[in-house]
Order: sequence, then C-alpha cells, then structure tokens
Amino acid sequence: MSQPVKIVERKPVPSDAIMLYGLPDVGLVGLIATAHIVSELKLTEIAYVDSDILSPIVVLHEGLPHSPLRIFGNGNLIAVVSETPIPAEAVSPITRALVEWGQSKKAKTMISIGGMPIQNRQDVKELEVFGAASNRELLSLLQERGVEILMEGYVVGPQALIMRYCTEKNLSAIALLAQSFYNYPDPEAAAAAIRALSKITDIKLDVSKLLEKGEEIRLRARDVMKRTQRELTEMKKTQEYDVPLYV
Amino acid sequence: MHTERRRRTIFELMREYIDDLDRFAEELIESTALIERPSWDTEAYTLEPLHNIFITPDEAMVTVDLPYTEPQAIKVKAISEDQIEITAKMRRKVCFHDFGITHRKGEFSSFRCQTRIPVPVDTKRMKTKFKRGILEVRLPRKKGYKIKGRIGASHA
Repeated sequence: MSQPVKIVERKPVPSDAIMLYGLPDVGLVGLIATAHIVSELKLTEIAYVDSDILSPIVVLHEGLPHSPLRIFGNGNLIAVVSETPIPAEAVSPITRALVEWGQSKKAKTMISIGGMPIQNRQDVKELEVFGAASNRELLSLLQERGVEILMEGYVVGPQALIMRYCTEKNLSAIALLAQSFYNYPDPEAAAAAIRALSKITDIKLDVSKLLEKGEEIRLRARDVMKRTQRELTEMKKTQEYDVPLYV
Repeated sequence: MHTERRRRTIFELMREYIDDLDRFAEELIESTALIERPSWDTEAYTLEPLHNIFITPDEAMVTVDLPYTEPQAIKVKAISEDQIEITAKMRRKVCFHDFGITHRKGEFSSFRCQTRIPVPVDTKRMKTKFKRGILEVRLPRKKGYKIKGRIGASHA
C-alpha cells in the first residue's frame, strides 16, 4: 500500500531552520503572508507534497506542472504554501506528515500563520496579532517580544493540528493569528502577521509592497477564498467564536 | 353577518404544493449553478465579487468585497422582494493576462452579483456603507409576522 502522504524532496533541505506554514484559512492570511515571504526572500522550491487524498489538481507555472502544496526554502528558512484549500478531511493527515517531515529535518521552530476573524473588521485599522505556543518558554518569548497571548479559546483548522502534533512530539511550535475578515482575502492582516513574525524571528521584511498590492491580491484571491470558505465550513471553523467551557 | 370562507379543494392544495416544490427546485439549481459557475463573465465584462449574507433578528446584512472600486461607482438595487443586485465599475479594467492567464481572452470592467435574501425584508429602507473596500448593505427585516403557538399552555 502506498503512503497516504508523501513529501518529495527536490533540493537539499536545510536543517535547524524555522518552518513556516501558510495554508489557506480565514482571510487567506497565512497564505498571503507566506507567499509574500517566499517572493521577497526569493525562496526556491525544495520539496512538494504528493498525496491521493488531495484534490486531483496540478498548478501550471510557466507551462510546467507543480503540486499545489509546495515547500520552499533557503539556508535557514522553510515555508509551506498551498495554492488551493486543503480538503477538510485531508487537513489532519497532511499536517501530521508535514510536522513529521519537519521533525526529521530538525526544524528549529514551526510557525503557522493564520487569521482570527473579527466581526467589526471594517472598522479596525490597527490589527492585533495573537500568539499561541506549544510550551511555556515560547509563550514567554512571545510576551517579551510584544505579541499578545491567546489565553483562552478554540483554534480550529491547520494551525490547531500543527500545534497539537508538535506538542505531542515535544517540538517548538507557534501560531500567529492576525485579526482579519473571515470570508474575504485580507492582505492588511497578512502584513500585521509578518510584522509580528519579525518581532520573534530574524525574518525582517518590508510589508509596504504587500500593502500596495492589496487590491490586486484581493481580486486574484477571490476563487481561492471562495473554495477555502467551503472547507472552513466543513471543518466547523466558526467554533473559534465559541466560548469554551472549562471545568 | 355571515363570512363566506371558501375551503380550498384538494386539487388547489396539490397545485400549491407543486408550485412550492418547483420554486424550491429552481432555487436549488440556481444555488448549485452559483457554486460551480466561473467567477467571471466575458460576455458581460463582469467579475462576480465575493459576497456573503448574515441574518440577525433585526436585519439582513449583505457584504461584498469590491477592490478597485470607488463608492460613487457602486449601484445597489432591489430586483424583487427578496433579491438585490449589486454592480460596481472598477477604477481600471482587468483582463486574464493580468492574472498570468494566457489561454483565455477577456476583459472585465465591473463587478456584478445578485443575492437572494432568505427572510422578508423592507428593501425601501435599505442602507449602504462602503469602507475598506467592503460594501455593506443592511436591509431591515419586515415586522408584524405572527407565529402560531401558545406560551405557558397548561394541561393541568
């Protein structure tokens, strides 16, 4: 029987690197932020994900086929980007395989970037970014660097599973969640997430270009957002609005 | 005074039932088509914007993402009691080539979408707001509907 999720390496993969996850989610925050990082730092494709549980899609770039779920990298950074939403039922095996692969590459910290939907997003100019982490040391780091901690609540989707699998394996993981629109691509939230990322890592990036291209990104991202919205419904993403019951 | 109230025949009731079923089927086909059709129309030169609807106890709120749009270029009109149409001319024309797509031809100058409102609303009292590229259309829900039922009924 073939492996359900295979990560095919195309180039040498750095070890001790920071591993970023930009998977389609609310406001496409993680995807937009990570794609911007890949483009600005000129990261090259080092691996891709091959799996029968993903939708039967190839993405053509300059006429050549690529997996929609690819891994980019350079000397000290690895970035996972998916150009199409991951089907809700595939999120668990895919994220598990990515975390295990990252572990085998001795990834230093796994950081997933995502959005946190807020109702009055249109009226909020300064977007806050909240952080969650797999251990107390990382929580302290977030606090020291001025990233507000997500103290209580639910996290649903890829970030939740990456955090859970990393905790199981005693790996360092951080989730950065920027306040965002739920259903609309949100480049401003992606910029806020990158600013927060620069506080806790050596990844220093100018986000002005991302903000300038905001309208273009929103226009181009319509179809991905629409399909992502359906998967978010499937994975019951709105549970993030719920008030948890602690006993 | 005698009020004559004609009882509907079984055939009339069946007719009503079939009409309801037809309407439901039409809505289902329409919603399926909305999901699967492309988000662009090269004949009308329009793009379908992302849009959503939220229902609260007081109103129905439709939001639409309209990049490259100025507020004065947006038109919202009620096309029936339960449907509104939103059109918005973009500041610049875009074509497939702008998205890196060379195997399709087409140019788009505006956004257009129609949304069915699933609850009775007063379209005459519709209010709009455009902020951060998002159009918000608020439609107050119609009041005065009576729901049959008893509160505190006791069988004692």
